[in-house]
Amino acid sequence: MRILYNWLEEFVDFQAPPAELRTRLSLAGIAIDSIEDSTAGPVLDAEVTANRPDCLGHYGLAREVAAIYRRPMKPLQPKLLESADKAADATRVEIESPDLCGRYTARVLIGVRVQPSPDWLRQRLEAIGQNSINNVVDISNYVMFELGHPLHAFDLDRLAEKRIVVRRARPGERMRTLDGVERTLGPDMCVIADASRAVAIGGVLGGAESEIGFASRNLLIESAWFDPISVRRTSKALGLRTEASYRFERGADPEMAELASRRAAELIQQLAGGQLLAGVVDVYPRREVGPAIELSRKELLRVIGDDIPDREIEEILSALGFHPVRKDTHRGSAGSILAVWECRQPSWRRDVTRGIDLIEEVARHYGYEKFPSRLPAARQPAKRLPHTGALDLLGQRLIALGYQEIVTIPLVDRRRDEIFRSPGAVPAVIGNPLAEDASVMRSSGVVSMVAALEWNLNHGQRNLRLFEMGKTYELRKGEPLETPVLTLGATGLAREKSLYETSRQFGFADLKGDLDGIGRLAGGRWRWGAMTKSWLNPARAGEIGIPDPSTASSSCRPIGVAGELARKIADQLKLRQEIFLAELRLEPLLEAVREAGVLRKFEPLPRFPAVERDFSLVLADGVTFTQVVDAVCALGIPELRSIEAADLFRGGQIPSGKFSLMIRVAFQSAEATLTDRQIAEYSSQILGALERELGATLRAS
Amino acid sequence: MTTDPTSETLAELGATSPEAVREKFAVLQARFDADIARRGSDADEQPALAAEWTGRKAGALTRIAEHWLRPAPAELKRVVGQEFQKLKAHVESVLEQKRAELDARAEAASAALDRIDLSLPGVERRVGTRHLVRQTFDELIGIFLSIGFSVVEGPEIETPYYNFEALGIPEHHPARDNMDTFYIDGSRGNHLLRTHTSPMQIRTMEKQPPPVRIVVPGKVYRRDNPDATHGYMFHQIEGLAVDTDITFCDFKGTVEYFVREFLGPKARTRLRPSYFPFTEPSAEVDASCHVCGGSGCRICKFSGWIELFGAGMVNPAVYGFVNYDAEKLSGFAFGMGVDRLAMMKHGITELPLLFGNDVRFLRQFP
Repeated sequence: MRILYNWLEEFVDFQAPPAELRTRLSLAGIAIDSIEDSTAGPVLDAEVTANRPDCLGHYGLAREVAAIYRRPMKPLQPKLLESADKAADATRVEIESPDLCGRYTARVLIGVRVQPSPDWLRQRLEAIGQNSINNVVDISNYVMFELGHPLHAFDLDRLAEKRIVVRRARPGERMRTLDGVERTLGPDMCVIADASRAVAIGGVLGGAESEIGFASRNLLIESAWFDPISVRRTSKALGLRTEASYRFERGADPEMAELASRRAAELIQQLAGGQLLAGVVDVYPRREVGPAIELSRKELLRVIGDDIPDREIEEILSALGFHPVRKDTHRGSAGSILAVWECRQPSWRRDVTRGIDLIEEVARHYGYEKFPSRLPAARQPAKRLPHTGALDLLGQRLIALGYQEIVTIPLVDRRRDEIFRSPGAVPAVIGNPLAEDASVMRSSGVVSMVAALEWNLNHGQRNLRLFEMGKTYELRKGEPLETPVLTLGATGLAREKSLYETSRQFGFADLKGDLDGIGRLAGGRWRWGAMTKSWLNPARAGEIGIPDPSTASSSCRPIGVAGELARKIADQLKLRQEIFLAELRLEPLLEAVREAGVLRKFEPLPRFPAVERDFSLVLADGVTFTQVVDAVCALGIPELRSIEAADLFRGGQIPSGKFSLMIRVAFQSAEATLTDRQIAEYSSQILGALERELGATLRAS
Repeated sequence: MTTDPTSETLAELGATSPEAVREKFAVLQARFDADIARRGSDADEQPALAAEWTGRKAGALTRIAEHWLRPAPAELKRVVGQEFQKLKAHVESVLEQKRAELDARAEAASAALDRIDLSLPGVERRVGTRHLVRQTFDELIGIFLSIGFSVVEGPEIETPYYNFEALGIPEHHPARDNMDTFYIDGSRGNHLLRTHTSPMQIRTMEKQPPPVRIVVPGKVYRRDNPDATHGYMFHQIEGLAVDTDITFCDFKGTVEYFVREFLGPKARTRLRPSYFPFTEPSAEVDASCHVCGGSGCRICKFSGWIELFGAGMVNPAVYGFVNYDAEKLSGFAFGMGVDRLAMMKHGITELPLLFGNDVRFLRQFP
């Protein structure tokens, strides 16, 4: 809210320059964003928190200023010249729905001259961002910004039977509001009606039919109190936020209603003349007396951890209107730890109902800066997340492998998400999205990864290796399920050309190698198996499984997939480069990494040399490297150290339907140097087994 | 050319007294020195020379050992041995010295030719990068771990109860104005995307008895139209400390410690009263402007202060929702925008940069 410095001065003598006032208000809880100059003097832009509707007017803010500078408020006593005729004879007010309208006051002015506002009024309103309309409308606005209480002026002659009925809107009832929009109202909405139709939406906006114009002569000034929740509902339902609804939904001061009406009548008489009918029609079905609230020093000390002197407590609470009275039996002993003050909630502070609320009032005006600083005593060890160690290790390893970490917004495009979604998964769809490209919580990390690769490719970055540790989201039987996943994406060159090296394309083997590097952290026990995913190239895709700890057998539980993006999808997304993707569920992976770390045991370094033998095998297509390894391992040669694939080719002298695989087998004994005879014996066993099991032959060299 | 004396025995050479033995050795040494003087500094000749004298099979030293030392009569054995060792030490050390000289000369000569251009790039293995937001989380979590805060995480798809009601924000509360919310279609519990990490305050207190001291890092969502500083999603870290003796002074000390750790020992902290439904008293935590140091500039709107995050003492009403005794317990809570802190620290003005994942941006924070 915009605050005029000069306007505040009308209510309290604080004698502080605007810059100082800015700081002091900020430190009391009214944040001032900026100070500007205007024709009506300096303007402070105040950020009033939702609990302080009393500060949505200059008078209420002046009360804070008065408390800050410990200065008295100047009394607010509008002077009225009332005629002999009574307002009560000119109009009638009925409240049919007191749950929506707790008070309704009406004053009547006869024979006013509606005309443009004088300069001072126009300038003040313009300085706080309001357009000037005419003197009567401007005055009702002016009083709202002065006292924080919204008012409305009706053209009395346009009210059927010149009376007011406050009621719920009838089903389907329609009304044109001041902004010229025809609106359909609902039965939860409070309307101000005359004898026949709605003429205003209570606490939100007036109607066009009874609007004050330059021809209006006789006025009814409404100053009422509307229920905050009802106003908020109505204004939301109609998509209509006004200065009035803003105040009523936060809670206006019902006691202020009559005073604001008097102040408006005073100003109208001054600026528009006319005759003010005597008295006010005041229907007040929900008058409430503010409750008594206690503030005890004991509680203050317990919450704040520091003391505040009696005099400060009493001055602050008095200045804010709480009328503190010591009620403990230790009256007179200043600073007593047993001191208790009984306070009265003022009508403008419905937000203050408990001792803690009073403690806050006292503390903020005493000054947060006056309290000493401490660190709380620690009674428990600080714990990281269960898998922090494994997660960090994984992240560091990926970074070392050249992958850049990304962080994405999980709200994604619905159709994109569908491409990568597992069949049967129910996505968590946003019911009220702001944009189509952010209309569902992603079902996979891949969908975000592809978008990140795409962005970079479109911005000239062609060689990419990215990873994300995020979540996927879905609904299972209507309940949300969030699954942490690790997603990898790579494209372009694995190695860029330099002075010293040639370039090389990133391929499936790179992805597999990187993943196996991760697998080594997880104990090196994961297995690759065939699988199909609609979005992966079936010839270059695999499933990763890790041994299931719940079963003793060698069965594997799949934790993820890896492969090359299917060409048809790459084309659809206009990605020309080969894209490699992998997605693994993090929880089993982290558990495996953690477990592997625990189980890892030292192996003595070999004291005797290893001996390598190469076997150039010719195998039938379809035989896998794993089959070769398994066949060799099945021999149970204790000195077998490793089996590597050393060379692989097809064609040339190799007949079609076959391929050549060179394996390099290393033997090593922990007890002795192996003899040529032993090696020869093992070699012939290996060849025999491969021939027998897999039909392998040795390639003639 | 004289015959090679080392192919004959000393006796054959007529050296039968110690003096004669010494003389024979002296002659050999003189011959070696002459050889060295003639050929020792020639890089091409030097290896041959070394082989002639120290070659394992046919070098002069081997032959002396064979022909002079081994067959020497007992009375001469000692003197021959001594003389042999002397000669051997002399030959080996001179040869070694010559070789070193030659090596040094060769290296100096080749260095002039092979000197690399130090300004040429090396072979740099491209390693990856940790995302700036994650780096910031690491830093923040590290600071709070150091003063006893444990880390917990919670769901992003929440219920209205945890996100709003139990935090004192019922439907139609004006505080919901700043928390426009995405709702999930077809969920059983009218689920929503959490608008802050605060629901974990409730979930944690529901699960564990006091004392509680946690931080909650995570993603949160607001239904805001995206601009330079707003997006559908951002990151928060929530803090909560509840115990029988936690006061506003502990709260103040904790945030001051945090600000100094995060922004440096010179950063000053200011608590400005504010309002949040689930804290009371509430505060905005300001730090002295990191750009101007507090004297006032464009970044801090000439106030000298930058708003960091909201915080406060836990509103006793919250304890009611988790069966904590509000009369015995007290605590504080805070919620920081992590992206904002990272942006502030590194002078980033556009939030979308953080989630666009342009590798040129990522590489700036290695």
